[in-house]
Amino acid sequence: MNAIAHALPTTAATSASTGALTIRGLSKAYPLKGKPVPVLEGIDLDIQPGEFVSILGASGCGKSTLLRLIVGLDQDYQGQILLDRQPVHGPGLERGIVFQDHRLFPWMTLQQNIALALKNHEMPATQKDRLVAEHIALVGLSGYEQAYPHQLSGGMAQRAAIARALVNKPKVLLLDEPLGALDALTRVRLQQELQRIWVQERCTVIMVTHDIEEALYLGDRVIVMDAHPGRIREDLRIDLPHPRERDSQVLHGYKQRLLGELVGH
Amino acid sequence: MKLHDLRGLVLPLLLLGAWEYASRQDAAGAFAFVPLTQVGSAWVELLGSGELLINLWASLVRTCTGLAVGIVGGIGLGALMALSAPANRLIAPLFHALRQVPMLGWIPLIALWLGNGESAKLLIVSLAALYPMVLNTFESLRQVEGQHREAARVLMLSRWQQLWLILLPAALPGIAAGVLQALAFAWVTSVGSELFLSSGAGLGSLMMNAEAAARMEIIVVCVLCIGLSGYLMSWLCTLLTRRLLRWRPNR
Repeated sequence: MNAIAHALPTTAATSASTGALTIRGLSKAYPLKGKPVPVLEGIDLDIQPGEFVSILGASGCGKSTLLRLIVGLDQDYQGQILLDRQPVHGPGLERGIVFQDHRLFPWMTLQQNIALALKNHEMPATQKDRLVAEHIALVGLSGYEQAYPHQLSGGMAQRAAIARALVNKPKVLLLDEPLGALDALTRVRLQQELQRIWVQERCTVIMVTHDIEEALYLGDRVIVMDAHPGRIREDLRIDLPHPRERDSQVLHGYKQRLLGELVGH
Repeated sequence: MKLHDLRGLVLPLLLLGAWEYASRQDAAGAFAFVPLTQVGSAWVELLGSGELLINLWASLVRTCTGLAVGIVGGIGLGALMALSAPANRLIAPLFHALRQVPMLGWIPLIALWLGNGESAKLLIVSLAALYPMVLNTFESLRQVEGQHREAARVLMLSRWQQLWLILLPAALPGIAAGVLQALAFAWVTSVGSELFLSSGAGLGSLMMNAEAAARMEIIVVCVLCIGLSGYLMSWLCTLLTRRLLRWRPNR
Protein backbone atom coordinates (compact mmCIF):
# COMPACT_ATOMS: atom_id res chain seq x y z
CA MET A 1 0.00 0.00 0.00
CA ASN A 2 2.71 2.39 1.06
CA ALA A 3 4.76 1.66 -2.00
CA ILE A 4 1.88 2.73 -4.24
CA ALA A 5 1.23 5.86 -2.21
CA HIS A 6 4.90 6.82 -2.49
CA ALA A 7 5.00 6.13 -6.17
CA LEU A 8 2.23 8.63 -6.91
CA PRO A 9 4.13 11.92 -6.41
CA THR A 10 6.96 10.84 -8.69
CA THR A 11 4.62 10.09 -11.60
CA ALA A 12 2.96 13.43 -11.01
CA ALA A 13 6.35 15.13 -11.06
CA THR A 14 7.38 13.59 -14.38
CA SER A 15 4.08 14.52 -15.98
CA ALA A 16 5.16 18.16 -16.07
CA SER A 17 5.64 17.72 -19.80
CA THR A 18 3.58 14.80 -21.06
CA GLY A 19 2.75 13.58 -24.52
CA ALA A 20 5.87 11.52 -25.32
CA LEU A 21 5.05 8.88 -27.89
CA THR A 22 7.23 5.84 -28.40
CA ILE A 23 6.68 3.36 -31.20
CA ARG A 24 8.71 0.16 -31.25
CA GLY A 25 8.84 -2.41 -34.03
CA LEU A 26 5.34 -1.61 -35.25
CA SER A 27 4.06 -3.80 -38.09
CA LYS A 28 0.59 -4.14 -39.50
CA ALA A 29 -0.80 -6.33 -42.28
CA TYR A 30 -4.22 -6.52 -43.92
CA PRO A 31 -5.46 -9.83 -45.23
CA LEU A 32 -6.07 -9.77 -48.98
CA LYS A 33 -7.52 -12.90 -50.60
CA GLY A 34 -6.42 -14.94 -47.60
CA LYS A 35 -2.83 -13.70 -47.70
CA PRO A 36 -1.50 -11.01 -45.35
CA VAL A 37 -0.31 -7.89 -47.19
CA PRO A 38 2.07 -5.78 -45.07
CA VAL A 39 1.03 -2.11 -44.75
CA LEU A 40 3.52 -1.05 -42.11
CA GLU A 41 6.79 -2.76 -41.36
CA GLY A 42 9.23 -2.18 -38.54
CA ILE A 43 8.27 1.37 -37.59
CA ASP A 44 10.40 2.84 -34.78
CA LEU A 45 9.66 6.37 -33.72
CA ASP A 46 10.33 8.56 -30.68
CA ILE A 47 8.33 11.73 -30.41
CA GLN A 48 9.11 14.28 -27.70
CA PRO A 49 6.42 16.04 -25.69
CA GLY A 50 5.23 19.13 -27.51
CA GLU A 51 6.86 18.22 -30.77
CA PHE A 52 5.16 18.84 -34.14
CA VAL A 53 5.93 15.88 -36.40
CA SER A 54 4.87 15.80 -40.03
CA ILE A 55 4.60 12.42 -41.70
CA LEU A 56 5.04 12.73 -45.43
CA GLY A 57 4.52 10.04 -48.01
CA ALA A 58 2.74 9.01 -51.18
CA SER A 59 -0.66 7.39 -50.92
CA GLY A 60 -0.41 3.74 -49.93
CA CYS A 61 2.54 4.21 -47.60
CA GLY A 62 0.36 3.41 -44.58
CA LYS A 63 0.61 6.83 -42.98
CA SER A 64 -3.11 7.04 -42.24
CA THR A 65 -3.05 3.46 -40.91
CA LEU A 66 -0.28 4.54 -38.55
CA LEU A 67 -2.54 7.26 -37.12
CA ARG A 68 -5.46 4.83 -36.78
CA LEU A 69 -3.22 2.53 -34.74
CA ILE A 70 -2.02 5.38 -32.51
CA VAL A 71 -5.55 6.68 -31.88
CA GLY A 72 -6.65 3.14 -31.03
CA LEU A 73 -9.34 2.54 -33.69
CA ASP A 74 -7.45 -0.54 -34.86
CA GLN A 75 -5.78 -2.75 -32.28
CA ASP A 76 -4.65 -5.56 -34.52
CA TYR A 77 -0.90 -5.01 -34.96
CA GLN A 78 2.52 -6.21 -33.90
CA GLY A 79 4.88 -4.07 -31.88
CA GLN A 80 4.38 -1.44 -29.21
CA ILE A 81 2.79 1.97 -29.00
CA LEU A 82 3.55 3.77 -25.74
CA LEU A 83 2.21 7.12 -24.61
CA ASP A 84 4.26 8.43 -21.69
CA ARG A 85 5.59 4.87 -21.29
CA GLN A 86 2.08 3.41 -20.97
CA PRO A 87 0.87 1.03 -23.68
CA VAL A 88 -2.05 2.36 -25.69
CA HIS A 89 -5.25 0.28 -25.54
CA GLY A 90 -8.13 1.47 -27.70
CA PRO A 91 -9.25 5.09 -28.04
CA GLY A 92 -8.71 7.55 -25.21
CA LEU A 93 -9.40 11.22 -24.57
CA GLU A 94 -5.67 11.95 -24.15
CA ARG A 95 -5.40 11.39 -27.90
CA GLY A 96 -7.48 13.58 -30.22
CA ILE A 97 -7.82 13.13 -33.96
CA VAL A 98 -8.94 15.25 -36.90
CA PHE A 99 -9.75 13.40 -40.11
CA GLN A 100 -9.66 14.66 -43.68
CA ASP A 101 -13.45 14.86 -43.65
CA HIS A 102 -14.56 16.92 -40.67
CA ARG A 103 -16.83 14.17 -39.24
CA LEU A 104 -18.96 16.62 -37.31
CA PHE A 105 -22.38 15.19 -36.51
CA PRO A 106 -24.81 16.86 -38.92
CA TRP A 107 -27.72 16.89 -36.43
CA MET A 108 -25.80 18.90 -33.84
CA THR A 109 -24.91 22.56 -33.89
CA LEU A 110 -21.26 23.58 -33.86
CA GLN A 111 -21.51 24.18 -30.12
CA GLN A 112 -23.17 20.81 -29.44
CA ASN A 113 -20.59 19.02 -31.57
CA ILE A 114 -17.72 20.47 -29.55
CA ALA A 115 -19.49 20.03 -26.21
CA LEU A 116 -20.00 16.34 -27.05
CA ALA A 117 -16.26 15.77 -26.62
CA LEU A 118 -16.64 16.87 -22.97
CA LYS A 119 -19.66 14.60 -22.41
CA ASN A 120 -17.92 12.22 -20.01
CA HIS A 121 -15.80 14.76 -18.16
CA GLU A 122 -16.71 15.39 -14.57
CA MET A 123 -16.86 19.14 -14.42
CA PRO A 124 -19.58 21.70 -13.80
CA ALA A 125 -21.70 22.70 -16.81
CA THR A 126 -20.52 26.30 -16.59
CA GLN A 127 -16.92 25.19 -16.92
CA LYS A 128 -17.83 23.05 -19.94
CA ASP A 129 -19.61 26.00 -21.55
CA ARG A 130 -16.57 28.17 -20.95
CA LEU A 131 -14.18 25.58 -22.44
CA VAL A 132 -16.40 25.16 -25.50
CA ALA A 133 -16.64 28.92 -26.02
CA GLU A 134 -12.87 29.30 -25.59
CA HIS A 135 -12.12 26.67 -28.19
CA ILE A 136 -14.65 28.06 -30.65
CA ALA A 137 -12.85 31.39 -30.24
CA LEU A 138 -9.46 29.67 -30.57
CA VAL A 139 -10.30 28.44 -34.06
CA GLY A 140 -11.94 31.76 -34.97
CA LEU A 141 -15.55 30.57 -35.21
CA SER A 142 -17.19 32.82 -32.60
CA GLY A 143 -20.64 33.80 -33.84
CA TYR A 144 -21.26 30.44 -35.52
CA GLU A 145 -22.09 28.51 -32.33
CA GLN A 146 -25.64 27.71 -33.43
CA ALA A 147 -24.81 26.83 -37.05
CA TYR A 148 -25.31 23.28 -38.30
CA PRO A 149 -22.36 21.65 -40.12
CA HIS A 150 -24.03 21.92 -43.54
CA GLN A 151 -24.19 25.68 -43.06
CA LEU A 152 -20.40 25.93 -42.65
CA SER A 153 -17.83 26.07 -45.43
CA GLY A 154 -15.27 23.26 -45.73
CA GLY A 155 -12.60 25.32 -44.00
CA MET A 156 -14.90 26.34 -41.17
CA ALA A 157 -16.04 22.75 -40.61
CA GLN A 158 -12.42 21.66 -40.42
CA ARG A 159 -11.69 24.39 -37.86
CA ALA A 160 -14.63 23.10 -35.83
CA ALA A 161 -13.22 19.57 -36.03
CA ILE A 162 -9.89 20.88 -34.72
CA ALA A 163 -11.69 22.62 -31.84
CA ARG A 164 -13.54 19.38 -31.02
CA ALA A 165 -10.26 17.46 -30.91
CA LEU A 166 -8.56 20.11 -28.76
CA VAL A 167 -11.30 20.79 -26.22
CA ASN A 168 -10.28 17.68 -24.23
CA LYS A 169 -6.77 19.09 -23.88
CA PRO A 170 -5.25 15.96 -25.43
CA LYS A 171 -1.59 15.16 -24.88
CA VAL A 172 -1.31 14.12 -28.50
CA LEU A 173 -3.22 15.61 -31.41
CA LEU A 174 -3.34 13.45 -34.53
CA LEU A 175 -4.11 15.13 -37.83
CA ASP A 176 -4.93 12.86 -40.77
CA GLU A 177 -4.53 15.04 -43.86
CA PRO A 178 -6.67 17.62 -42.12
CA LEU A 179 -6.41 20.17 -44.92
CA GLY A 180 -6.36 17.69 -47.80
CA ALA A 181 -9.87 18.40 -49.01
CA LEU A 182 -9.66 22.20 -48.89
CA ASP A 183 -8.98 24.66 -51.70
CA ALA A 184 -5.47 26.09 -51.98
CA LEU A 185 -6.19 29.49 -50.40
CA THR A 186 -8.15 28.12 -47.43
CA ARG A 187 -5.42 25.59 -47.01
CA VAL A 188 -2.65 28.17 -46.68
CA ARG A 189 -4.74 30.19 -44.24
CA LEU A 190 -5.48 27.15 -42.09
CA GLN A 191 -1.81 26.14 -42.06
CA GLN A 192 -1.06 29.51 -40.45
CA GLU A 193 -3.93 28.97 -38.04
CA LEU A 194 -2.67 25.50 -37.13
CA GLN A 195 0.75 26.94 -36.39
CA ARG A 196 -0.72 29.68 -34.21
CA ILE A 197 -2.91 27.19 -32.33
CA TRP A 198 -0.03 24.78 -31.77
CA VAL A 199 2.28 27.54 -30.51
CA GLN A 200 -0.50 28.47 -28.07
CA GLU A 201 -1.44 24.93 -26.92
CA ARG A 202 1.93 23.17 -27.24
CA CYS A 203 0.59 19.64 -27.31
CA THR A 204 2.34 16.90 -29.26
CA VAL A 205 1.09 16.93 -32.85
CA ILE A 206 1.47 14.23 -35.49
CA MET A 207 0.23 15.36 -38.87
CA VAL A 208 -0.03 13.09 -41.88
CA THR A 209 0.11 14.88 -45.22
CA HIS A 210 1.19 14.44 -48.82
CA ASP A 211 1.95 18.13 -49.22
CA ILE A 212 5.73 18.73 -48.94
CA GLU A 213 5.41 22.47 -48.25
CA GLU A 214 2.83 21.90 -45.53
CA ALA A 215 4.97 19.23 -43.87
CA LEU A 216 8.03 21.52 -43.86
CA TYR A 217 6.20 24.70 -42.85
CA LEU A 218 4.63 23.12 -39.76
CA GLY A 219 6.90 20.28 -38.65
CA ASP A 220 9.77 20.31 -36.17
CA ARG A 221 10.50 17.01 -37.85
CA VAL A 222 9.47 15.59 -41.18
CA ILE A 223 9.27 11.81 -41.33
CA VAL A 224 9.40 10.62 -44.94
CA MET A 225 7.78 7.26 -45.56
CA ASP A 226 8.20 4.69 -48.32
CA ALA A 227 5.35 2.56 -49.58
CA HIS A 228 4.70 -1.18 -50.04
CA PRO A 229 5.25 -1.88 -47.26
CA GLY A 230 5.12 1.40 -45.34
CA ARG A 231 8.36 2.15 -43.58
CA ILE A 232 10.35 5.16 -42.49
CA ARG A 233 12.85 6.33 -45.10
CA GLU A 234 14.09 9.51 -43.53
CA ASP A 235 13.74 11.51 -40.33
CA LEU A 236 14.45 15.13 -41.10
CA ARG A 237 14.86 17.71 -38.33
CA ILE A 238 13.83 21.25 -39.28
CA ASP A 239 15.63 23.57 -36.89
CA LEU A 240 13.66 26.72 -37.46
CA PRO A 241 11.75 28.48 -34.68
CA HIS A 242 7.97 28.91 -34.87
CA PRO A 243 6.14 30.88 -36.13
CA ARG A 244 7.88 30.44 -39.44
CA GLU A 245 8.05 32.43 -42.63
CA ARG A 246 6.54 30.56 -45.53
CA ASP A 247 9.17 31.83 -48.02
CA SER A 248 12.17 30.97 -45.83
CA GLN A 249 15.27 29.95 -47.84
CA VAL A 250 15.95 27.03 -45.50
CA LEU A 251 12.48 25.58 -46.09
CA HIS A 252 12.91 26.10 -49.82
CA GLY A 253 16.18 24.16 -49.78
CA TYR A 254 14.55 21.25 -47.97
CA LYS A 255 11.64 21.35 -50.38
CA GLN A 256 13.89 20.97 -53.43
CA ARG A 257 15.69 18.10 -51.77
CA LEU A 258 12.50 16.24 -50.77
CA LEU A 259 10.95 16.83 -54.19
CA GLY A 260 14.00 15.26 -55.78
CA GLU A 261 13.83 12.27 -53.43
CA LEU A 262 10.12 11.64 -53.68
CA VAL A 263 9.41 12.42 -57.32
CA GLY A 264 12.75 11.30 -58.75
CA HIS A 265 15.35 13.28 -60.64
CA MET B 1 -51.12 31.14 -52.64
CA LYS B 2 -49.47 30.75 -56.02
CA LEU B 3 -51.32 29.49 -59.07
CA HIS B 4 -49.41 26.23 -59.35
CA ASP B 5 -50.41 25.30 -55.79
CA LEU B 6 -54.01 25.24 -57.00
CA ARG B 7 -53.32 22.73 -59.74
CA GLY B 8 -53.84 19.89 -57.24
CA LEU B 9 -57.49 20.91 -57.06
CA VAL B 10 -58.19 20.47 -60.79
CA LEU B 11 -58.72 16.71 -60.77
CA PRO B 12 -60.93 16.61 -57.63
CA LEU B 13 -63.15 19.37 -59.11
CA LEU B 14 -63.42 17.52 -62.43
CA LEU B 15 -64.35 14.37 -60.52
CA LEU B 16 -67.05 16.26 -58.62
CA GLY B 17 -68.42 17.59 -61.90
CA ALA B 18 -68.53 14.09 -63.43
CA TRP B 19 -70.22 12.78 -60.27
CA GLU B 20 -72.92 15.46 -60.41
CA TYR B 21 -73.42 14.82 -64.16
CA ALA B 22 -73.85 11.05 -63.56
CA SER B 23 -76.37 11.68 -60.77
CA ARG B 24 -78.60 13.68 -63.12
CA GLN B 25 -78.88 11.03 -65.88
CA ASP B 26 -81.61 8.71 -64.60
CA ALA B 27 -83.03 7.13 -61.45
CA ALA B 28 -80.34 4.41 -61.29
CA GLY B 29 -77.65 7.09 -61.64
CA ALA B 30 -79.25 9.18 -58.93
CA PHE B 31 -79.15 6.20 -56.59
CA ALA B 32 -75.55 5.12 -57.27
CA PHE B 33 -74.23 8.71 -57.46
CA VAL B 34 -76.27 10.70 -54.96
CA PRO B 35 -76.55 14.37 -55.96
CA LEU B 36 -74.03 16.66 -54.30
CA THR B 37 -76.78 18.71 -52.68
CA GLN B 38 -77.97 15.60 -50.86
CA VAL B 39 -74.41 14.83 -49.72
CA GLY B 40 -74.16 18.42 -48.50
CA SER B 41 -77.34 18.24 -46.46
CA ALA B 42 -76.26 14.86 -45.00
CA TRP B 43 -73.01 16.53 -43.96
CA VAL B 44 -74.90 19.35 -42.22
CA GLU B 45 -77.27 16.86 -40.57
CA LEU B 46 -74.44 14.65 -39.27
CA LEU B 47 -72.50 17.65 -38.03
CA GLY B 48 -75.58 19.05 -36.32
CA SER B 49 -76.40 15.82 -34.51
CA GLY B 50 -72.75 15.47 -33.47
CA GLU B 51 -72.69 11.99 -34.99
CA LEU B 52 -69.91 12.81 -37.43
CA LEU B 53 -67.59 14.34 -34.86
CA ILE B 54 -68.11 11.57 -32.30
CA ASN B 55 -67.32 8.87 -34.84
CA LEU B 56 -64.44 10.77 -36.43
CA TRP B 57 -62.96 11.42 -32.98
CA ALA B 58 -63.23 7.72 -32.05
CA SER B 59 -61.38 6.71 -35.22
CA LEU B 60 -58.71 9.39 -34.75
CA VAL B 61 -58.04 8.52 -31.11
CA ARG B 62 -57.70 4.83 -31.96
CA THR B 63 -55.37 5.61 -34.85
CA CYS B 64 -53.12 7.82 -32.72
CA THR B 65 -53.01 5.39 -29.80
CA GLY B 66 -52.19 2.44 -32.07
CA LEU B 67 -49.65 4.55 -33.94
CA ALA B 68 -47.93 5.53 -30.69
CA VAL B 69 -47.76 1.90 -29.57
CA GLY B 70 -46.48 0.85 -33.01
CA ILE B 71 -43.84 3.60 -33.12
CA VAL B 72 -42.43 2.92 -29.66
CA GLY B 73 -42.54 -0.86 -30.08
CA GLY B 74 -41.26 -0.73 -33.66
CA ILE B 75 -38.28 1.50 -32.85
CA GLY B 76 -37.46 -0.72 -29.87
CA LEU B 77 -37.72 -3.98 -31.79
CA GLY B 78 -35.99 -2.58 -34.90
CA ALA B 79 -33.13 -1.20 -32.80
CA LEU B 80 -32.76 -4.49 -30.92
CA MET B 81 -32.58 -6.41 -34.21
CA ALA B 82 -30.14 -3.94 -35.78
CA LEU B 83 -27.78 -3.75 -32.81
CA SER B 84 -27.75 -7.33 -31.62
CA ALA B 85 -26.90 -10.08 -34.09
CA PRO B 86 -28.19 -12.88 -31.80
CA ALA B 87 -31.50 -11.07 -31.30
CA ASN B 88 -31.79 -10.56 -35.05
CA ARG B 89 -31.14 -14.23 -35.78
CA LEU B 90 -33.75 -15.16 -33.19
CA ILE B 91 -36.49 -12.71 -34.17
CA ALA B 92 -36.05 -12.01 -37.89
CA PRO B 93 -37.44 -15.31 -39.33
CA LEU B 94 -40.60 -15.14 -37.21
CA PHE B 95 -41.06 -11.42 -37.86
CA HIS B 96 -40.71 -11.72 -41.64
CA ALA B 97 -43.06 -14.71 -41.72
CA LEU B 98 -45.77 -12.97 -39.66
CA ARG B 99 -45.36 -9.87 -41.81
CA GLN B 100 -46.61 -11.84 -44.84
CA VAL B 101 -50.08 -12.25 -43.29
CA PRO B 102 -52.23 -9.34 -44.48
CA MET B 103 -53.58 -7.15 -41.66
CA LEU B 104 -57.18 -8.08 -42.45
CA GLY B 105 -56.17 -11.75 -42.21
CA TRP B 106 -55.55 -11.29 -38.49
CA ILE B 107 -59.06 -10.02 -37.81
CA PRO B 108 -60.81 -13.42 -37.42
CA LEU B 109 -58.15 -14.67 -35.03
CA ILE B 110 -58.02 -11.47 -33.00
CA ALA B 111 -61.83 -11.32 -32.88
CA LEU B 112 -61.88 -14.81 -31.40
CA TRP B 113 -59.31 -13.89 -28.79
CA LEU B 114 -60.40 -10.40 -27.83
CA GLY B 115 -63.97 -10.11 -29.10
CA ASN B 116 -64.98 -7.21 -31.33
CA GLY B 117 -64.40 -4.41 -28.84
CA GLU B 118 -61.89 -1.60 -28.69
CA SER B 119 -58.91 -3.71 -27.57
CA ALA B 120 -59.15 -5.93 -30.66
CA LYS B 121 -59.16 -2.90 -32.97
CA LEU B 122 -56.31 -1.28 -31.08
CA LEU B 123 -54.21 -4.41 -31.42
CA ILE B 124 -54.79 -4.49 -35.19
CA VAL B 125 -53.88 -0.81 -35.61
CA SER B 126 -50.77 -1.18 -33.45
CA LEU B 127 -49.60 -4.21 -35.44
CA ALA B 128 -50.15 -2.34 -38.72
CA ALA B 129 -48.00 0.55 -37.47
CA LEU B 130 -45.39 -1.78 -35.99
CA TYR B 131 -44.27 -3.44 -39.24
CA PRO B 132 -43.06 -0.38 -41.15
CA MET B 133 -41.47 1.02 -37.98
CA VAL B 134 -39.44 -2.14 -37.37
CA LEU B 135 -38.33 -2.35 -41.00
CA ASN B 136 -37.35 1.32 -41.30
CA THR B 137 -35.63 1.49 -37.92
CA PHE B 138 -33.67 -1.66 -38.68
CA GLU B 139 -32.57 -0.55 -42.15
CA SER B 140 -31.62 3.00 -41.20
CA LEU B 141 -29.66 1.93 -38.12
CA ARG B 142 -27.79 -0.59 -40.25
CA GLN B 143 -26.89 2.13 -42.71
CA VAL B 144 -25.38 4.60 -40.22
CA GLU B 145 -22.01 5.52 -41.66
CA GLY B 146 -18.90 3.97 -40.18
CA GLN B 147 -17.39 7.46 -39.95
CA HIS B 148 -19.99 8.49 -37.39
CA ARG B 149 -19.40 5.34 -35.36
CA GLU B 150 -15.63 5.94 -35.41
CA ALA B 151 -15.95 9.56 -34.36
CA ALA B 152 -18.17 8.45 -31.47
CA ARG B 153 -15.58 5.88 -30.39
CA VAL B 154 -12.76 8.41 -30.50
CA LEU B 155 -14.85 10.71 -28.27
CA MET B 156 -15.17 7.79 -25.80
CA LEU B 157 -18.97 7.76 -25.73
CA SER B 158 -20.52 4.84 -23.87
CA ARG B 159 -22.75 2.36 -25.73
CA TRP B 160 -25.91 4.10 -24.51
CA GLN B 161 -24.57 7.49 -25.46
CA GLN B 162 -23.67 6.15 -28.89
CA LEU B 163 -27.23 4.85 -29.31
CA TRP B 164 -29.02 8.00 -28.09
CA LEU B 165 -26.70 10.69 -29.37
CA ILE B 166 -25.29 9.19 -32.55
CA LEU B 167 -27.09 6.14 -33.94
CA LEU B 168 -30.72 7.15 -33.42
CA PRO B 169 -30.29 10.76 -34.67
CA ALA B 170 -28.34 9.45 -37.67
CA ALA B 171 -31.19 7.01 -38.37
CA LEU B 172 -33.90 9.64 -37.80
CA PRO B 173 -34.56 10.45 -41.49
CA GLY B 174 -35.31 6.78 -42.17
CA ILE B 175 -37.34 6.41 -38.98
CA ALA B 176 -39.39 9.49 -39.90
CA ALA B 177 -40.15 7.98 -43.30
CA GLY B 178 -41.31 4.90 -41.40
CA VAL B 179 -43.64 7.01 -39.22
CA LEU B 180 -45.27 8.47 -42.33
CA GLN B 181 -45.90 4.95 -43.68
CA ALA B 182 -47.05 3.69 -40.28
CA LEU B 183 -49.52 6.58 -40.04
CA ALA B 184 -51.09 5.66 -43.38
CA PHE B 185 -51.33 1.98 -42.40
CA ALA B 186 -52.75 2.83 -38.96
CA TRP B 187 -55.46 5.06 -40.41
CA VAL B 188 -56.48 2.53 -43.06
CA THR B 189 -56.60 -0.40 -40.62
CA SER B 190 -58.38 1.70 -37.99
CA VAL B 191 -61.30 2.36 -40.36
CA GLY B 192 -60.97 -1.13 -41.83
CA SER B 193 -61.19 -2.84 -38.44
CA GLU B 194 -64.43 -0.92 -37.77
CA LEU B 195 -65.94 -2.33 -40.94
CA PHE B 196 -65.24 -5.88 -39.78
CA LEU B 197 -65.70 -5.47 -36.03
CA SER B 198 -68.63 -3.07 -36.20
CA SER B 199 -69.24 -2.25 -32.59
CA GLY B 200 -68.72 1.06 -30.87
CA ALA B 201 -68.06 4.41 -32.49
CA GLY B 202 -65.98 5.09 -35.59
CA LEU B 203 -66.29 6.22 -39.18
CA GLY B 204 -66.29 2.59 -40.36
CA SER B 205 -69.19 1.71 -38.06
CA LEU B 206 -71.05 4.79 -39.26
CA MET B 207 -70.59 3.60 -42.83
CA MET B 208 -71.78 0.08 -42.07
CA ASN B 209 -74.93 1.43 -40.43
CA ALA B 210 -75.54 3.76 -43.38
CA GLU B 211 -75.16 0.86 -45.79
CA ALA B 212 -77.74 -1.17 -43.85
CA ALA B 213 -80.12 1.81 -44.03
CA ALA B 214 -79.30 2.40 -47.75
CA ARG B 215 -78.16 5.97 -46.92
CA MET B 216 -75.72 6.44 -49.82
CA GLU B 217 -75.10 10.11 -48.98
CA ILE B 218 -73.80 9.25 -45.49
CA ILE B 219 -71.38 6.72 -46.97
CA VAL B 220 -70.08 9.41 -49.30
CA VAL B 221 -69.65 11.85 -46.41
CA CYS B 222 -67.69 9.19 -44.51
CA VAL B 223 -65.46 8.43 -47.47
CA LEU B 224 -64.71 12.14 -47.90
CA CYS B 225 -63.96 12.47 -44.18
CA ILE B 226 -61.61 9.48 -44.21
CA GLY B 227 -59.71 10.82 -47.19
CA LEU B 228 -59.43 14.37 -45.90
CA SER B 229 -58.42 13.36 -42.36
CA GLY B 230 -55.76 10.99 -43.64
CA TYR B 231 -54.41 13.70 -45.91
CA LEU B 232 -54.34 16.24 -43.07
CA MET B 233 -52.61 13.84 -40.70
CA SER B 234 -49.82 12.98 -43.10
CA TRP B 235 -49.41 16.68 -43.87
CA LEU B 236 -48.99 17.43 -40.14
CA CYS B 237 -46.59 14.53 -39.87
CA THR B 238 -44.51 15.91 -42.75
CA LEU B 239 -44.38 19.34 -41.08
CA LEU B 240 -43.23 17.78 -37.81
CA THR B 241 -40.59 15.73 -39.62
CA ARG B 242 -39.25 18.81 -41.36
CA ARG B 243 -38.94 20.55 -38.01
CA LEU B 244 -37.11 17.57 -36.46
CA LEU B 245 -34.79 17.22 -39.45
CA ARG B 246 -33.99 20.91 -39.85
CA TRP B 247 -30.29 20.06 -39.49
CA ARG B 248 -30.36 18.53 -42.95
CA PRO B 249 -29.27 20.62 -45.93
CA ASN B 250 -32.17 21.72 -48.14
CA ARG B 251 -32.22 19.74 -51.30
